[in-house]
Amino acid sequence: MDFALPDDLLALQRAVRTFAQREIAPVAAELDRHPRFPWPTLRKLGDLGALGVMTPEVHGGLGLGQLALAVLLEEIAATDAAHATIAAVTNGLPQALLLEHGSEAQHERWLGKLATGAWIGAFCLTEPHAGSDAAALRTRATKVDGGYVLEGTKAWITSGGEAQLYLVLAKTDPAAGARGVSAFLVERGTDGVSFGPPERKLGQHAAITTGMRFDGAFVPDGQRLGAEGQGFVMAMGSLDGGRIGIAAQAIGIARAAFEAAVRYAGERTAFGQPIREYQGVSFKIADMATRIEAARLLTHRAAWLKDRGYRVTGEASMAKLFASETAVAVTDAAVQVFGGYGYSAEYPVERYLRDARVTTLYEGTSEIQRIVIERQVRREFER
Amino acid sequence: MTIVTFVKHVPDAEARLGRGPDGLDLGGASFALDGMDEYGVEQALRLREAGAASEVVALALGPARSEEALRSALALGADRAVLLETDAALDPIAQAPALAEVVREAGAKLVLVGGKQADWDSAALGPALAEALGWPLLDWATELAVEGDGIVAVHDVDDGSARWAAPLPAVVTAQQGLNEPRYPTLPNIMKAKRKPLERRPLAAASATVETIHVERPAHARRNVVLDGDVATAARELARRLRDEAKVL
Repeated sequence: MDFALPDDLLALQRAVRTFAQREIAPVAAELDRHPRFPWPTLRKLGDLGALGVMTPEVHGGLGLGQLALAVLLEEIAATDAAHATIAAVTNGLPQALLLEHGSEAQHERWLGKLATGAWIGAFCLTEPHAGSDAAALRTRATKVDGGYVLEGTKAWITSGGEAQLYLVLAKTDPAAGARGVSAFLVERGTDGVSFGPPERKLGQHAAITTGMRFDGAFVPDGQRLGAEGQGFVMAMGSLDGGRIGIAAQAIGIARAAFEAAVRYAGERTAFGQPIREYQGVSFKIADMATRIEAARLLTHRAAWLKDRGYRVTGEASMAKLFASETAVAVTDAAVQVFGGYGYSAEYPVERYLRDARVTTLYEGTSEIQRIVIERQVRREFER
Repeated sequence: MTIVTFVKHVPDAEARLGRGPDGLDLGGASFALDGMDEYGVEQALRLREAGAASEVVALALGPARSEEALRSALALGADRAVLLETDAALDPIAQAPALAEVVREAGAKLVLVGGKQADWDSAALGPALAEALGWPLLDWATELAVEGDGIVAVHDVDDGSARWAAPLPAVVTAQQGLNEPRYPTLPNIMKAKRKPLERRPLAAASATVETIHVERPAHARRNVVLDGDVATAARELARRLRDEAKVL
């Protein structure tokens, strides 16, 4: 049993940490206050090589696995969660599904652009009335000569209107339920595709989220990904990886809040001694450290198993559930350690608290994760 | 042309150093490629990219952990690396002959080294290397270009800057302002592992350094409080800043 990260991954981790501290940290608070899509830093993240972690080197990526992506996403999130969300999405489903199910022509056309960060990718599954119940999608793709015509509305699209490539799930056979869903690659600027204004939300303001409308948008046959009717199956097969990514992001946010709290507890004095000398504070710090450690172990193990070819549906959901709830608990405790200053935008912990909150919601709520975990438990007991 | 760029593995700028029984306690410190040396590496890479050099060799002298500084230089883009491995404490003058030997062996025409390294902070390694090689030295460069058979460098002087030309081969010491070092990209960090890194034990040096006593420099403060009315105190403060501290 070996719990140490390999040397080369430690070197990559150090490089991303240094980059994030020098390039992202100085702009994070300002991007939260005045939200805009952080193109300048994303370009640099792309140049660094952090936006194509799992795509093979021949396509311009790093050719590493889920563990490497988890480690690097934690580093980005420990500086700014919004950057981590954008990076997690573009590194994740668009590239993973394109690589696995795309034709050579599709690889040639898009994979290199995404892997090098020249283009940002987005994933469009959720609709206003259907999140995790993906089989209930209403967006239609009607077959016409030479392609499909898309009609419908998508919601909560990370990088909506900014990303250049959208992986869209739409029904090609409305009668067939989940088996009637197909995947399409849609470029920004396609006629009949429009975006809503950025959602106003609690945190992660720079990770722009919008709605997306298809009004008779024509998508050529060559932009359908995989076989007709396989879209839902393809997407479900990649959700585990996405959940591990969100778990890693949650750990990064928790770590940032934890480190800020530890420093503050050593500096701030009350009644003649640093506040960490009081158990009310020191026990909080001990619990924060323990939870972060446990979350990271769950997450790294799920990633490690996935890299070895195991199916990790249960493990990924456990990691995502525990890490995201840890992020919410730890950022909340950090605010408490800071006292009144924790509530002030003068210190970053209130931002961490707001940024953390969504991690128990997206990529499946905590409740969805528990359903998934219990189904796995049941399956094992009934075997 | 081959360029040798010297890199030192030093405690990073934010490392907390403790005091041990035999001098500094580096046990808890994290180490990194020396900042001034990094300007030298960057300049070597730029000269290679501009076609003025064909090979960049990173060279280090120190304990086994110095390999990390060499891997950093390889990740930035150096072609190969040589480590002269020793645990002995050697000052720059004692290091120079062994380093010069590697430089000659590599057939290098240009050596780049930081103006001073964060360990000895002596500014002596560049001059000592130039002396050992018998080459001209252009120090504290803030600009450097290869022109014809020689180099032209700019460095700061009291009332501005001065341009110096020298024939090659030569030694140049680098400092802040020379360039903005790049980040090692993740693919290059991975490739750096596959680049050649040669380790050689350093033959016993003639002169080593013995640590007798280590002391944290004391910051003496004058603890002067200027009282009186605001205008008088401000005038007195300005006078002291101008005439005594000489910062105005």
